[in-house]
Amino acid sequence: MGKSEQQLPLSSELVRNIQRIKETLGNSTDLVAREFLIGSEECVKAALIYTDGLADSRNVLEALMLKLREAPLKQDLSASDDPLRLLKDYSISIGEINPVSDFDSLFFAVLSGDTVLLLDGHAEGLIIDQRAWEDRGIKEPSSQSVIRGPKDGFTETLRTNTALIRRKIRDPNLWLESKIIGRVTRTEIGVMYIKGIVSEDILKEVHSRLDKIDTDSILESGYIEELIQDETLTPFPTIFNTERPDTVAAALLEGRVAIIVDGTPFVLIIPALFSQFYQASEDYYHRADFATVIRIIRYICVFIALLAPSLYIAITTFHHELLPTALLIGLASQREGVPFPAFVEAVMMEVTFEILREAGVRMPRAIGQSVSIVGTLVIGQAAVEAGLVSPAMVIVVSITAISNFVVPAFNMAISIRMLRFPFMGLAASFGLFGITVGLIALVLHLCGLRSFGIPYLTPFAPIIIEDQKDNVFRLPHWALLSRPHLISQKNRIRQAKRLSKERVK
Amino acid sequence: MKKRFIMTVILCFSFLLQSGCWSRRELNDIAIALALGIDKSGDQYSISVQIVNPGEVAAKTGTGKGSIVLTQTEKGETLAEALRRITTKTPRKIHLAHLRIVVFGEEIAKEGIGKTLDFLSRNHEVRADFAVLVAKGLQAEKILRVYTVPQEPIPANKIFKSLETSDKVWAVTAIVTLDELISDIANEGKYPTLTGIELLGDIDSEAGETRENVERMKPIVVLRTANLAVFKKDKLVGWLSETESKGYNYIRGNVKGSVGQVACPNGGKLSLEVIRTKAEMHGKVIDGQPQVDIQLRIEENVGDVQCEIDLTKPETISLLESKAEERVKGILEGSIKKVQTKYKSDIFGFGDAIRRSDPAAWNTLKQDWDEKFPDVKVNVNVTVEIRRLGTVTDTVDTK
Repeated sequence: MGKSEQQLPLSSELVRNIQRIKETLGNSTDLVAREFLIGSEECVKAALIYTDGLADSRNVLEALMLKLREAPLKQDLSASDDPLRLLKDYSISIGEINPVSDFDSLFFAVLSGDTVLLLDGHAEGLIIDQRAWEDRGIKEPSSQSVIRGPKDGFTETLRTNTALIRRKIRDPNLWLESKIIGRVTRTEIGVMYIKGIVSEDILKEVHSRLDKIDTDSILESGYIEELIQDETLTPFPTIFNTERPDTVAAALLEGRVAIIVDGTPFVLIIPALFSQFYQASEDYYHRADFATVIRIIRYICVFIALLAPSLYIAITTFHHELLPTALLIGLASQREGVPFPAFVEAVMMEVTFEILREAGVRMPRAIGQSVSIVGTLVIGQAAVEAGLVSPAMVIVVSITAISNFVVPAFNMAISIRMLRFPFMGLAASFGLFGITVGLIALVLHLCGLRSFGIPYLTPFAPIIIEDQKDNVFRLPHWALLSRPHLISQKNRIRQAKRLSKERVK
Repeated sequence: MKKRFIMTVILCFSFLLQSGCWSRRELNDIAIALALGIDKSGDQYSISVQIVNPGEVAAKTGTGKGSIVLTQTEKGETLAEALRRITTKTPRKIHLAHLRIVVFGEEIAKEGIGKTLDFLSRNHEVRADFAVLVAKGLQAEKILRVYTVPQEPIPANKIFKSLETSDKVWAVTAIVTLDELISDIANEGKYPTLTGIELLGDIDSEAGETRENVERMKPIVVLRTANLAVFKKDKLVGWLSETESKGYNYIRGNVKGSVGQVACPNGGKLSLEVIRTKAEMHGKVIDGQPQVDIQLRIEENVGDVQCEIDLTKPETISLLESKAEERVKGILEGSIKKVQTKYKSDIFGFGDAIRRSDPAAWNTLKQDWDEKFPDVKVNVNVTVEIRRLGTVTDTVDTK
């Protein structure tokens, strides 16, 4: 697509304009160019151009065309200097109308679902917002469901998504900036933040990184995520994504920036911290004590998901003396006749589980049940009965798998899942020593990570005592006085202390 | 940069390949030894190892035909040598970390066990938390070859649990671990004691070594933990009776629970359960004469009334208390007297008590403590408090 050609101004001849539009789109059949006449005596040729399926064609024909035809009854259109303006001011009862004078903007408008009005004899047209396409509607988010809390989830439409966020925060300081990214897809990106709370530095960084993107397509927010993240060589996500408007609203109120991408229900939140991935929006809707217990359980589960197989390998192959005698004899009796070393056994089972999990996601719903039956039988029973694996290993693999799904953020769960394989290798080579070294390396790596300049492990490291109120613990709402330290550095006070104290009494 | 990255990846993967040659041992490559028996055989040591057969332990996979444990015996100039030689009889390497008991034969115990302890404490695999026992009148090997009750089919476990249980509720045994034993041998002022273990029933037949032994309602041969063995340094010098063993445990403050009887005023007997004891020992030297005060406080419940007595009266209780005090005092003095006159070995730690209170005097006393020990004057003071009378006040009326 030569840009210079596209920048061509519109011609003043309607026929030539329409011809060029059709040629450029290769006579695509979903493009509609409806020519008609305006005026009773001195008719002016006009055309409405829109894409079928993206524009509200019924509305275009009924409301728009009828109104346009009535126009000359009140005003002499051909005599006017600026008939387009006249039409805009008097005839068209539609909110968003913009002038267009070049083909580039015209194509963008038409292909985005707008309707373009062209008049013969004028090298200008009007872009009339008449977008209406079929979309999925607001459904409960499938990836982050809650028991208590709002059940609406984002959709594929950018406008719907921004509306869902606005419905939560009705403040004039909630600002939305738009960008078009992707040379071919020309995807609309919305950057949302609360002016006065957001850190200007982070916002500037977000803008500059977004502006540097030069790609032909953005089909999902994952594209953006990978293009703007701080560090690529890490298993950990440094940008958060969510399907939930309430999560985005809460993040905006903490001073974070949301990036909404047209065409996907997953909204990015920047900056993202390690602890954020272990917090669910529900934590704030349940009682504080309950939420705290749940969070602690989540952290325990992370350790199980990361280390259970490797600890099993290390202890059963290197450190037999760590087990109580009765347990050791029990495990030894299970391992009698198992032909593989514990490491091979564990890798085999973990890989089998990963295969089953992936199959569970990919396969058509209709055959889901048969696969899960085969899976349970293969993993759970047949392998044990055939003497390929020991029953204890099945328990270890199951608890690992289940613990992994406790992590509320799916992308963090994947990271943990991937990391357990190197840990198993370390355990099989060096025992607990290897696991310890691996953990130290992991923590060092985490300490080095940044998300848009914010240390990834905040508020663990650097430790911020004040922010511990909402980290592993979730204190009651009356105690959540300030926003996170490093993210929003101004306007940090969320509620007056005095008020909260009264509430305690 | 790229080269370095590839090198790192290769290095990481090579870790996995190296794992085969490390000190890695799969669970099915080790023979878990739960009991060790040490005997003398001529000039050599004879070592018996009780190894678990894990396949038989599991209820599901066990065929019921093989033996749950297997005892192998080998001889050698040193313990380490004998132990390694056992691998000629077993396919797997002996794993000593889970030892529950170590049994010394009476013969080697009389000659001295000091030299064998070095191997056990030096070996990095051996933990020091197992119980050390002496086979009473037997070779240790015999003890390790007996089938035990079906509830605890692994004999080493059975013995260890019996020790633990009787330690809690009967108090005539003592769990002496390796480190306690070594420190008792090495320290001046307290000599070791070890719990004995013996066989009852038809000892000479080999019936105890077959599964038949446990399939019978009344086993042919039964393992029993028995009383305490008195050591002088590392040599066995004799045995205490049941009551004397209990007296020893009272003095050392080892009693967690026990039962004792007192005679009722109008005939018949009444037993008291010990629920809590606290023993204190203070040494002193008066005119060069070492003395030891033993203060024992016991709390008891009424456990069993076999006579006519009105327990609701406070006078009865104080009467019972003073009777119990007398009785316990008798037990303590009995065992002290036996040890002082017969064995002349300071197993009670009187020397230790004197060293703590009067280190200067101890420095001169310790030269010939073994001679002085029999003459130590011991003042025993027992107080008994009866706490609870049980769920009934009057006994069953049989009239």
